[in-house]
Formats: sequence, structure tokens, C-alpha cells
Amino acid sequence: MKLFRIGFPSASITALRLLLGAIFILSGGEKLLDLKYFALVIAEYQILPSLLIPAVALLVSLCELLCGTMLLLDLFSRISSSIMLCMMAIFITAMTNNLIRGLEHDCGCFEFLAQWYGLKEEIGIGPIVRDILFFILLLPVALLGNNRIPWKKHPG
Amino acid sequence: MSGKSLRRKLLASFLLLSSVLLAVSQLHPAASAALAKEESGDINLSAAKAFFDTHSACFVDARSEYSYYKSHIKGALSLSDSRFDEQFPDFRQKKTIETLIVVYCIGPSCDKARNVAEKLKKNGYKNVRVFSGGLVEWSHAGFPMEG
Repeated sequence: MKLFRIGFPSASITALRLLLGAIFILSGGEKLLDLKYFALVIAEYQILPSLLIPAVALLVSLCELLCGTMLLLDLFSRISSSIMLCMMAIFITAMTNNLIRGLEHDCGCFEFLAQWYGLKEEIGIGPIVRDILFFILLLPVALLGNNRIPWKKHPG
Repeated sequence: MSGKSLRRKLLASFLLLSSVLLAVSQLHPAASAALAKEESGDINLSAAKAFFDTHSACFVDARSEYSYYKSHIKGALSLSDSRFDEQFPDFRQKKTIETLIVVYCIGPSCDKARNVAEKLKKNGYKNVRVFSGGLVEWSHAGFPMEG
């Protein structure tokens, strides 16, 4: 681990933390602003029972927003990035599953890309590769980030 | 009439008949498409607008629910092709099988409206039409939308 840390300077961890934190805040925030739309996109995945969908939509949005904020503030970065790693794995599995089933629908990932740049956010290879990239970028933060609270004094 | 002249008339008649048959056969694809369109209950923009203005039909959006949520023809109900089974019981309670239903999706290239129309017919709804121009044609015409 120490060797890995030497090869991966803390400045890079900080840069990754800030970048990923900002992205997740943006993503979670826009989902929370229009939770009904996000719930309808989740319904289109046809994986969860209808009864659970509103709760899952709220949970995913809150997780993204909170983990993003904690990554940005360097609060429990390892825990936050580990949670986001699990979520990325779920997103990748869900999208791959629906691609195999031949379903075509919005991925519900970054709706602001569609609004700002007119990019279509449908499930496909693009969003899957992007989530794999996020997964890879989250790994160093999950392994080498810290879980300390900045305003608390630490011995040494 | 000599035998030679009869043969000439027969040949001329044969050639005329052949050309008529050829012309008819070339018209056939368009004619059959029109016939198929008529049989499948397709309606055009003006007919859809007439139904809309007279409130004589229920408009049904066959696209996904999130697309319906974003925008749809004013007063239309959502009955998506992808989640038909989940949405249909609710729809069944709202609309009787005698209701005239106009199904649409995004445009002519979209199959969802036709699929939903078929499913509705299988579930007892006989008066089902497909507005093949869909939301694109409707919005380009500046007709009422909401969402």
C-alpha cells in the first residue's frame, strides 16, 4: 500500500476527490430537483417493483449528493467513495442487463448534459464506459483517501 | 375479317392488356400501403386535431412515462409500450371499451403507438386509431401541449 501511495501522490487524490465530489453533487442535486422524473426513469429499467421505486429514487439522489459533498469536504472520503463504488457497480450492472434485454431508454445519469449540451443520455456503451471510468477513478480515493474529520485534532 | 387482321387485333389487345396490368402492378405497393394504413386505423394530423377539438377521443401517449412526463398532447393519458401491463389496469378503470382512442408516439418511425394499439385491441378496445404523425407533427403544427 505504501508503494502504491508513493506512486500516487496525495495531490492526485485531492484532485480526484474534488472532481468526483463536484460531479456527484451536480448529478444528485439535479435528481433531487426533479425526483418524479428520476423515479420514472428507474421504472423504465424494469428491475424494481413499482412500490420501491420512489424510495430508491430518493435514496440514490441523496447518496450521490451526500457522498459528493463529503468527498469535496474530505469528510470520511474513504467511506463516501466506497459507497459510490458500490453504486457505480449497480449502475453498470443495471445498464448492461437492459442493453442485453434490448431495452432502450434514458439512463438517468446526467440529465444536465441533455439540457445544457443536447446530448442524449440513453443507456448504451457510452454511459457504461463512463461509469467504469468513474469506478476506476474512485478506487484510489477509496483505498488511499482518509476518514478523519478535519476540525478534530489528530495525534501526531 | 381475315385471319391476319384478327391475329393483329388479338396481338394489339394482348399488348394493351399487358401494359395496363403492368401499370396496375406498379401502383400496387402504394395502393396496398394506403389500404394497410386505412385498415390499421391510422389518422392524419387534421383528423387528430378534429378529434381533439370535439373532445370525441381519448389521446394515449405510447412513449415511456418519463417522456410523457416531460411533454405530451394536452389531456393525453400515458400508456407506455414498455410498461403497458403495469399501467393498463389503471387505464381500464378510467376508460370504457367503447371509448374512441387515438394512440401516438414520437413520429412515423416509432412503432410504439402501433404496438399499444394492438395491445388495446387485444384487451377489448375496438375503436382504436393511430396518429402516426405523432408528437413531432403535433408540436410542429403548434397544437396544444402540456408537461
